[in-house]
Amino acid sequence: MNLFASSIVMTLLMLTMPIILTSASTHKNKFYPQYVKTTISHAFMISTIPMMMFLYSGQEMIISNWHWMTIQTLKLTLSFKLDYFSMIFMPVALFVTWSIMEFSIWYMHTDPNINRFFKYLLMFLITMMILVTANNLFQLFVGWEGVGIMSFLLIGWWYGRTDANTAALQAVLYNRIGDVGFIMAMAWFLLNTNAWDFQQIFAIKHDNLNIPLAGLLLAATGKSAQFGLHPWLPSAMEGPTPVSALLHSSTMVVAGVFLLIRFHPLMEHNKTIQTAALCLGAMTTLFTAACALTQNDIKKIIAFSTSSQLGLMIVTIGINQPYLAFLHICTHAFFKAMLFMCSGSIIHSLNNEQDIRKMGGLFKALPLTTTALIIGTLALTGMPFLTGFYSKDLIIETANTSYTNAWALLTTLIATSMTAAYSTRIVFFALLGQPRFNPAIVINENNPLLINSIKRLLLGSIFAGYLISHNITPTSIPQMTMPYYLKMTALAVTMLGFILALELNSTMQGLKFNYPQSPFKFSNQLGYFPIIIHRLLPTMGLSMSQKMASMLLDMIWLENVLPKSISYFQMKSSITVSNQKGLIKLYFLSFMITLALSFFVLNFHG
Amino acid sequence: MPVVYVNIFLAFIVSLMGLLIYRSHLMSSLLCLEGMMLSLFVMLTVTVLNNHFTLANMAPIILLVFAACEAALGLSLLVMVSNTYGTDYVQNLNLLQC
Repeated sequence: MNLFASSIVMTLLMLTMPIILTSASTHKNKFYPQYVKTTISHAFMISTIPMMMFLYSGQEMIISNWHWMTIQTLKLTLSFKLDYFSMIFMPVALFVTWSIMEFSIWYMHTDPNINRFFKYLLMFLITMMILVTANNLFQLFVGWEGVGIMSFLLIGWWYGRTDANTAALQAVLYNRIGDVGFIMAMAWFLLNTNAWDFQQIFAIKHDNLNIPLAGLLLAATGKSAQFGLHPWLPSAMEGPTPVSALLHSSTMVVAGVFLLIRFHPLMEHNKTIQTAALCLGAMTTLFTAACALTQNDIKKIIAFSTSSQLGLMIVTIGINQPYLAFLHICTHAFFKAMLFMCSGSIIHSLNNEQDIRKMGGLFKALPLTTTALIIGTLALTGMPFLTGFYSKDLIIETANTSYTNAWALLTTLIATSMTAAYSTRIVFFALLGQPRFNPAIVINENNPLLINSIKRLLLGSIFAGYLISHNITPTSIPQMTMPYYLKMTALAVTMLGFILALELNSTMQGLKFNYPQSPFKFSNQLGYFPIIIHRLLPTMGLSMSQKMASMLLDMIWLENVLPKSISYFQMKSSITVSNQKGLIKLYFLSFMITLALSFFVLNFHG
Repeated sequence: MPVVYVNIFLAFIVSLMGLLIYRSHLMSSLLCLEGMMLSLFVMLTVTVLNNHFTLANMAPIILLVFAACEAALGLSLLVMVSNTYGTDYVQNLNLLQC
């Protein structure tokens, strides 16, 4: 038991060491990136000790360190919950981060601020660890906001570029909308259960949990880029490739799904929220997969692929399978990070070319990258017995055999086939065929930093699924028997997607590109969602506020209703009524003459 | 009829003449209006005090109040005219002339 606690504390403390040492100006050192990388690799190795202890004996632990404050009846402490989810996620995240750090030493080699880059990546990792190991909602919120801030700083890394600043701002705004849901859930829990600790929340019998769970679903929509709050994820590709690999594929965007998984004891009895999650996830996965089909930027295609897989995770939560969703988080981290790293290798070799229409013929020129890309693609689409198979195929089987919404199921299957289609598109355009890039560049991948990091994730992509799923404790019972056709559904639609995409791509190879039709334009412009929402809503808001403040309040109520209307009315009516012309002296004179005349007549008569 | 009443009545008539016949300044008309009011006040006070109409002792004060209001109103109209035209010549009030 002592080893458990001390290993965890050592892991978490080791991660904070390079940040703390900035006060000793270690961060101006030339070898700071290597130092950070070795710190993370050592932290990974130490964190495997508690994981293996957990897998062997099922021991979980809650470390409650420091009592921060008590606000009337709410006690805020610093406490770490080390259970199934955090114990398995920590080594996975640290492993992937280790590889990404090594990769980014090579990728950001010529950047003058590389030390700051590594510091930011490390701070992101620390806040992600805080999020994952949090035992109360307050600490989780600290981690939640932390990853949001680091995402902002890292997306806008090249801040001289307008698009990068816009994308960073977009990420922060969309995450903020999700945070409203999080805070609503926190407030509800504070009001109704008087606690922000998971243990106390799960122990109380609640009547109607729709409000906080809807808030948490909104938070997951914001952070995990579900439909409605999704445009920030493809825009976040403005950041450097290591940022995309770490944040927007493996760790940050799964924070929303992780939050919903943490609350699975509450969600498993609430059919409403499960259905909402199911429909939301199905909508997301179909929409983003459809958008990915016609994109031309390799990083954007992979970003949409991430978004589609996140939708699949939310669908899994919607069919009440939190453990399967968690398994998919862990396996997805491996091959998605590797896909991003391969695309980074291609981009760097082709002298910062990101458009797949200008790539090609890299099959023989970048053999390791090609291998990794193809294996990552196969793992993503759920090729049997690679990593993705163990989670994705199980998810689709469970969805097929559960009592669920047929429309959601159908859209998930269509999205699965689209996954295969756009993955084939990446492979076809980037690797196969004749080169379409500028020939005057040097393509090589003989840097050991690049090779080792990709190789490590490659081994992970192939074997991690098997290793993880055969060593974890059995949780929810998978469906054992199902008809033959249901079992083969996932494989069949994937094959369909592959073959269709391959056929279409090779047939259209030499033909003229004619003017795009409506479905193409819909898919290429991301469903017109960013164009409509980013312009329409602010315009409506600003014009309505101007009309209300300036026209309605000032000009109408304060000016026109009483003062000006009275004067206007009086003037109009006086002009209408009076038939006089002003000659005052004449009127006074006639008055006097009348008086004098009447005086004389009435006095001196008779 | 006692002489004082005739006196005051004559003062009233003179002020009335002044109100109705004036050359150009609107101000003189307003001043004569004040004169009329003054003569009425004095007549009312003398009558009430000589005949011991105790219950009517308030009447002059009330008359004074109303006269003050009307004077203020007249002055405000004068000021409006003066603001627009710069002087209070009565020949300026000719907007409704055809």
